[in-house]
Formats: sequence, structure tokens, C-alpha cells
Amino acid sequence: MRSRIAISPNVAMALAEKTTEARRAFLAILTGGLGAVIGGLALVPGLGFLASPLRRPTVRGAEQPLRVASEAEVKPGKPLRVTVVGQRDDAWLRLDRVTVGSCWLVRATDVAPVRAFSTVCPHLGCGVDWNEKTGKFDCPCHASSFDLDGRCLGGPSPRGLDELDLQVEGRDLLVRYQRFRNGTGKKEPIG
Amino acid sequence: MSGDAPAGAPPAGAAAREGREGRAGATRGWLEDRLGLAQLEQAFLGGTIPGGASVWHGLGSVAAMLVVLEAVTGLFLAAFYAPSVGSAWASVAYIQDQLWLGWFVRGLHSFGSSALIVVAGVHLLQALLYGAYRRPRELNWIVGLALLGVSVLFALTGYLLPWDQKGYWAKLVEATITGSAPVIGPAAQQLIQGGSGFGNLTLTHAFAAHAIALPFVLFGLIALHVWLYRRHGPTPRWTLTADAAAARATPFWPDQAARNAAMGTLAILIVAIFAIARHGAALESPADPASSYLARPEWYAVPLYQLRMYFEGPLEIVATMIIPGIATAFVVALPFLDRAPSSRPTDRPRVMAAAAFGLVALAVLATVALVKDARDPAFAKARLEEQAKADTARRLAKKGVPPEGGTAVFRNDPMYHAREIWDERCAGCHGLVGTGGDKGPDLKGYNSRAWIRGFLQNPDGPLYMGPAKLDKGMRPVEVAPEDLEALVEYVYAESGAADADMARAGLGRDLLAKRDCDTCHDFDGSGENDGPNLKGRGTLPWVVGVIADAGHGLLYGDKNKMPKFSAKLAPTEIEDLARFVLALKRGP
Repeated sequence: MRSRIAISPNVAMALAEKTTEARRAFLAILTGGLGAVIGGLALVPGLGFLASPLRRPTVRGAEQPLRVASEAEVKPGKPLRVTVVGQRDDAWLRLDRVTVGSCWLVRATDVAPVRAFSTVCPHLGCGVDWNEKTGKFDCPCHASSFDLDGRCLGGPSPRGLDELDLQVEGRDLLVRYQRFRNGTGKKEPIG
Repeated sequence: MSGDAPAGAPPAGAAAREGREGRAGATRGWLEDRLGLAQLEQAFLGGTIPGGASVWHGLGSVAAMLVVLEAVTGLFLAAFYAPSVGSAWASVAYIQDQLWLGWFVRGLHSFGSSALIVVAGVHLLQALLYGAYRRPRELNWIVGLALLGVSVLFALTGYLLPWDQKGYWAKLVEATITGSAPVIGPAAQQLIQGGSGFGNLTLTHAFAAHAIALPFVLFGLIALHVWLYRRHGPTPRWTLTADAAAARATPFWPDQAARNAAMGTLAILIVAIFAIARHGAALESPADPASSYLARPEWYAVPLYQLRMYFEGPLEIVATMIIPGIATAFVVALPFLDRAPSSRPTDRPRVMAAAAFGLVALAVLATVALVKDARDPAFAKARLEEQAKADTARRLAKKGVPPEGGTAVFRNDPMYHAREIWDERCAGCHGLVGTGGDKGPDLKGYNSRAWIRGFLQNPDGPLYMGPAKLDKGMRPVEVAPEDLEALVEYVYAESGAADADMARAGLGRDLLAKRDCDTCHDFDGSGENDGPNLKGRGTLPWVVGVIADAGHGLLYGDKNKMPKFSAKLAPTEIEDLARFVLALKRGP
């Protein structure tokens, strides 16, 4: 069927070019959009999955007070280092008896009660040692030092040693082991 | 539109726009000088499709997109997976059942691999039909086949990683087949299983291959494949002459690219639908070398599995190596065997016939294998049992898996733990399998009518109180058969059995006084007598009571010889043990 309106060949060619241009632009946008769908399908759930440890703790355990020593073992002025052994969930693993950490048991004087301090230096997390000669706790990494009451005497530590909850049951000493955020002045439990 | 504007009179704002464009242009130019973006664009999106864009030319792209899906999901999974015998199954169960979206990522990875093999297979058939293997593309045909081979190696190393029953046994069969190869077999088997037997090194080797070595090989081969494809271009449909194909050519971007993206989206959506419908990928119960598992290969290996059925004994190698080897050699050599004058399929009747024969043979073998399993009730039963076992293992894994890993997860089952206590504390005196105990009754079928009947007929028999050597124990019940059945039903009903015949139990209850049972037994739950009070005998609290302290006045009193376990076991352990004993009614 012949067109009633005469279109010059030049205009026809320009129109055809324009439709082709529009089609190409549409296809380009479509391709980009579909590419985003494909990428999103693989990446969004994947990143959510990767972030799943933010939704729930992956390492837990030893929340109950655990027996670490008998009271008679702790002599006045002679801190005793003990390991805390307890149950621990580590991602898929359940460990019934594993070392979760260690603490210093301290009796300042004959009449003072026993106290427990985490061995973790509140500065950057090294383990503090008892220095027999100076009668202080020293951190081997950055030379913070602490007295028998856990007070920071010098060095970069932002706070004193972290005291742990200690209970006496009969002759036994029970410690509730916890870890705290390092490098801050405030004692904040982790997990 | 710019053509309509009169020259020399730019509209207001044009200068500003020009300035912006000028700056953007300058930035583009700066980047262009350093990165060569135009060249890059040309390399990735340039070129034309002779004969016009078509979905048939997009299959390779879809395969590449699936490869990327596998790489991305694999990377995420690797962040949570641990390749060791103790941790492999437990970490996969953790991914599948405990981490957020873990099941979905695993499902994408697993169904994505199947989709990749399907798409690669269709891609190969398309190349075969179009004659795309012919001069000058012979090498790209071979590279493509190598890619398919590498994809299969990915699958073979991948499904072992969860260390579940399916992966373990299928891999064991493959390793054994490898070991049966002449001369190099035993050494090859040790290399692929990473040592003299299946163990930690099997997993570390498979993981290193799957997640590090094979990806390098795969991406290298893909680069070569794409390079050769770009060098020789796509093969146009055989109906077009070279001139016609050139005349109808369309640019790759965006005509072909849009088709590829649409097909890729469809493929990945199908994979996602499978992943959602099946809630991730299958995870069977942990590998158990002591079990007898009905091993079946992955779907793509089913034809080979069935082929092996027809070659027994020394001929087995025909199915496992010779026939697959000859078929592979033929496919690899195809570009050099095909001397047809044109790409037209009708000009290549032998190639087409061989391909059709191959496809039909694969389909027939697969169908025979699937129909045989579908008709086999033993197969269905084994599958259901495995499913139940897997569900139990995965439920128990949520309590945390012991460090031994794998089947140690069943220790989380109270019944399993009770069995351990039984072996340690009870088995010394009590029997469990109907052969009698050393010092106490055999509890096989405890509380069943048969057990109760046997007890009443011969309380001092070898399966009952005989081994306890009681001084003045219970005398046999000598009554008419129907009275015996009534007494059995009474005792049975007291144990709380749901299927007890209460009318008959009532008759038994009435017989207790008549038959002098009441000389030694009370029935009210409060009277203490020589024999146990029969109220609620055999219920959970009653059995708990016996284990805790069988010498209680309501139970065996002075006649008791069983140790008091209330001081030796935790209350929860005693209850678990009582449940274990009660479960013996249905068999150990």
C-alpha cells in the first residue's frame, strides 16, 4: 500500500536511524538492568550471608562460675596464676573442656579476701606477669604495670587490671571468666 | 535536534553546558590516555555477529555468567567452610542450618554447577550442529572440551567437600575406579585421595583443587576460549552464505549483549528457584565408613554408572575407561576427522548420526538407571532412612558438634548417650539382646506383652531374675491361659501402653487377689510389701525410680541387689537411661 504522504528519502533515513538509535539505547539500558539483576542475585544474599556473624555470636561459653583453685592455695602477697577451663561453643564446634583463659588470684594481706584479675592487659591484650622482685604485675609487651589491687601504676594501659567475679563455695574458688574491650578507659564486657 | 538549531546562535545555558561537558570530556580524556578505555570497550563489547544476533550465540556467555556465579558464591562459602574430617560436615551443616542465608548461597552454588554443565552441554551441541569446530576453529573446539572437562573436575572435587554420605561414598567409588586403571592406577588413586586412605588429606587436596588450582585453570582456559572466539568470530548459521551473513551482521553491543543478559538472567533465576524450592543444597548425614550406603552418582554421571552394570569382573574397565576414553578421543579428534565439504548438517551425516547415537545412548542409560531405582522399594526405603538420619544429624548439630566431628554429632542424642551409660554401668549385669544377663534380667523387649508373659511364667528364668539368684524370689504364675493373658494385660496396661486392652486388664486386676499375687504385691502405689508395688509399674517415673534406688520400699526393698544410681548419675542421665530402657520394647 502506497503512503499518501510523500516522505523524502532523506527524512526516511533520518527516522530509521532515530528508531535504531532508540532501540539501541533501550537494549543498552535493558542489558545494564539485567546485569544488575544477575549481580544482585549473586552478591546481595552472599553479602548478607557473609555478614551473618554480626547477627549472632559465633563464640560463646564458660558463662557459669568455674572452679579454678581452692582458697588455701592463695598465699598473701603471692598472686597465683590459674587457667580457667570450661565449655565453649566455637561456630559449629562444641568443646566440653577447653582452656578459655587465665586469671591471677590475689590475696593482698592475711585478712583480705581473695580477688581475681584477668591476665589480659587492658591496653592491647597481652598477658601480664607477676614480678616477684618489684611486687608488681608487668605487661611484657608495652611495660604497663599494676599493683596487687589491679591499679595501673604506669605505662600506656588506659585502666587497671579487669577484676573478675569470684565466688567462694566451701573451700573452692569459682571465677566467672569474661573478656573486656581493650584500649579504652571503660571496662566493657565483649559478647 | 541539533540539526534544527540555527548555526552560530547557541541557546542560553549552552556555554555552561559546554563548560561542564568540556570538563567531563577532559576527565574522560585523562582516563582514556591512562587506561585505554576505548580499546577496552572495543575488546569487550566491540565486534559484530555475522548473520545477526541470536540466542544460539549467547550460550557461551550464559556459561561464563554461571562461572562467575560459582566463583562469587564459592568465595562466600569458603569463608565459612573448614576442610578437615572433624569439621567439614559440621561446618557445612552450620552454613546450611544456622548462618543467615547460608542455605541460599549453598543452593545457588550447588544448582549453579548443575546449570553450568547443562548450559555447557547445550553450547557444545550448538557448536556441533553449526559446525563451529571446523577449520579454522579446531583449537577452540578442543579448548571448549577442556573447559567442560574442568567443569566436571570442579563437580567431582566439590561434592566431596561436605563429607556427607553421598560425597564420601561416591568419591570412594571413583577413587577405586581410578585405582583399577592399569599400571598407574594405585599411584593415581593415592594422589587424588591425597594419601594411602580417605581422611584429612583427601579433603585438603580436594579443597585446594576445587578452590585454588581449578579456578586458575578454568579462568586461563576461558581467556583462551574467548580470545580464539574473538579471533575467528562466531560461526554463522549454515543456511547463510558468507555474503548474506555479512549483510545481515549486527553489532555485538547491544543487540547480542541484551540477548545474553536476558538468557543469563533466566538461567540464574532458574538456579535461584531451585535453591529456594529445595531450601539450599542437599546435605546427607555425616560420612560413616561403617555404614552400608546406597551410593548413586550425580545426575550427569548416571549414564556411566548404568553402563558399568553391563560389564562385570575383568570387563569392568571397558565401561569405566575404554568406552568413555574412545568417546572422548572421538569428540576431541572430530575437527580433524570431519572432511565434509560444508557446514550444512546434511553434508555431515556421519557426524550427525554419531552425535544422535551418543545422545540417545546417554538418555537410554540414564532412563534405565532411574526407572530401575524408582521401581525398587528397597531403594526408596534406603533413601527414606537416609533422609531421616540426615534430619536427625542436622537437628543434633544445632547443639554443637563434638571436636571429633562427623558422626560424633549423634552423641548429642540423649539415646546415644544413654547407650554409652548403659554400656558402662548396666551391661555388666543386664542383657540387652535376649541372651540373658550376668546378674539381672535381660531387657530386650522390656514391657512388651511377650516379655511380661515370659516373666510371669518363669520369673527365675535365665532371661529374668534367674541370674540375680534371689533368695525366695517370685514363684511362677500357674493359671489357665486366659487368666495368664488377663494378668499380662493388666501389667501391660500399668506400664502406660496406649494399645492395652483395658477390659481384659480389668479382668487381670480382679485376678490379683484370687491368685494370691497380693501376698507379696500391692497395687495402690503406697503399700510397701515384699515385691514391688505394681501401680504404674514400667512407666517412665517407675523405671527412673528403679535406676535411682531399686531398694526403695515401694520397689524391691530388702530383696534388691541392684546398685543405687541416684548418687552415681545425674538426674537427667537417669531419665535418659530410663527412656532408653523403655525404647527397648521396640527392640534395641
